[in-house]
Amino acid sequence: MRHSFLDKYSQLHSPIHHLDPRVKLALSFAFILGVVTTPPTLWPAFVLYLILLWCLILISRLPPLFVLVRSLIIIPFVVVVAVFVPFFSGGGVAGSYSLGPWQVTVSHHGLMVLWNVVVKAWLSVQALILLSSTTRLPDLLRGMQGLGMPRVLIMILSFMYRYLFVLIDEVMRMRQARDSRNFGGKRLWQWKTIGSMAGSLFLRSYERGERVYMSMMARGFDGQVRSLRRLQLSYAEVCLGVACLFLVVAVNVVPRFAFPM
Amino acid sequence: MHIPDGFLNVATAASTYMVSAGGVGFALKEVGRKLGEKHIPLVGVTGAFIFAAQMLNFPIVGGTSGHLLGAALAAILLGPWTGLLVMSCVLLVQSLLFQDGGLLALGANVFNMGVVGCFVGYFVYRGVASLLRYSRKGILTASFVAAWGAVMAASIFCALELAISGTSPLKVALPAMAGFHALIGIGEGAITAAVLSFVLVTRRDLLELRKI
Repeated sequence: MRHSFLDKYSQLHSPIHHLDPRVKLALSFAFILGVVTTPPTLWPAFVLYLILLWCLILISRLPPLFVLVRSLIIIPFVVVVAVFVPFFSGGGVAGSYSLGPWQVTVSHHGLMVLWNVVVKAWLSVQALILLSSTTRLPDLLRGMQGLGMPRVLIMILSFMYRYLFVLIDEVMRMRQARDSRNFGGKRLWQWKTIGSMAGSLFLRSYERGERVYMSMMARGFDGQVRSLRRLQLSYAEVCLGVACLFLVVAVNVVPRFAFPM
Repeated sequence: MHIPDGFLNVATAASTYMVSAGGVGFALKEVGRKLGEKHIPLVGVTGAFIFAAQMLNFPIVGGTSGHLLGAALAAILLGPWTGLLVMSCVLLVQSLLFQDGGLLALGANVFNMGVVGCFVGYFVYRGVASLLRYSRKGILTASFVAAWGAVMAASIFCALELAISGTSPLKVALPAMAGFHALIGIGEGAITAAVLSFVLVTRRDLLELRKI
């Protein structure tokens, strides 16, 4: 079975791919925090964020189209917010339209809320795509541990990642078996079948968890996972991280004085 | 219901982060104390199960389809604290692998679907099932109601957080979100009940484990 949709581009080689995961995690967090705290009226700052982000995306050799298509994942939430825009009042009327029997009035305040959400969500999701497509998940987890996440949680997450592929295979096989037995259309009785599939998937996972634990015990598992790979932070990486952090802070702060509103 | 970054203001994101981090920290201690190191593979594999089960789409009226959230299911099968751990791991991996839910909004997502979803699901299930004396029908009814309630409660908190952040007006968004998820919750409830009816037939002993 194929799961190329998981971790597709994280095996490429580029300066960003080889950067220490702790630096990447901390920078992504700082970038998103910077974007979210920028006032929505300060549009030059958002342009600068976009330029900064796309410089990094181009250095990382990710296909630009992939990043753009992937960033559309925020659309459902944007639609939810857009639907509520006419219900904001205040800040003057920007336009009034009649849709059939309804008179829809859009206020400036409502449009500002929409712009605020769209631009921030779009920039943040691209930063997250850059982070996750340039770092393998096991490396990300190691980075999180380096940044102080509890060890047990990291171990649970590593287990989950390991067995994710096994269970996705299991689901794909079950779906194949089901579809080859004439499971067409969309009818309500299908719920029962899907429930049984999920139920047997649960039993198989649970029993697999027990077996895995027992075979780990048989091999002397004592609650510690020992890894040969160590994270090493080079001087250059620290400098690069500090420089990028400085840029994000600068983009957040400087335009407030350069373009007073 | 996975909130992306940019929809919540910093105050909301930070406060939900703190509550969720506290909850997960306590869950780690509680589950570790009662299950020993056995919980590590168990919670991990169950997390992978919830993740894979979310790939099974079910039809909703009008040609659309939805998928399982799984918070109530995990809480009913394993207990609320273990369920919270499972859901937090699922949400973290979904955010990092699929950008489904943001990094800064992770605290809010864990709060809605982990803390609220698991605890509402678990206690509603226990309440209704004990009223109906844990008969087969009682367990199935209770799991349906619990899963429906968990989805509803999570969506209400989601709407509240969006309103506090000034992203949507509370008066309209709350009834709209709740109404929409009242429909989605029916699917969630039906699947959860179907899973439990399968587990009741094949491995009833799993339902009688001590829940943590």
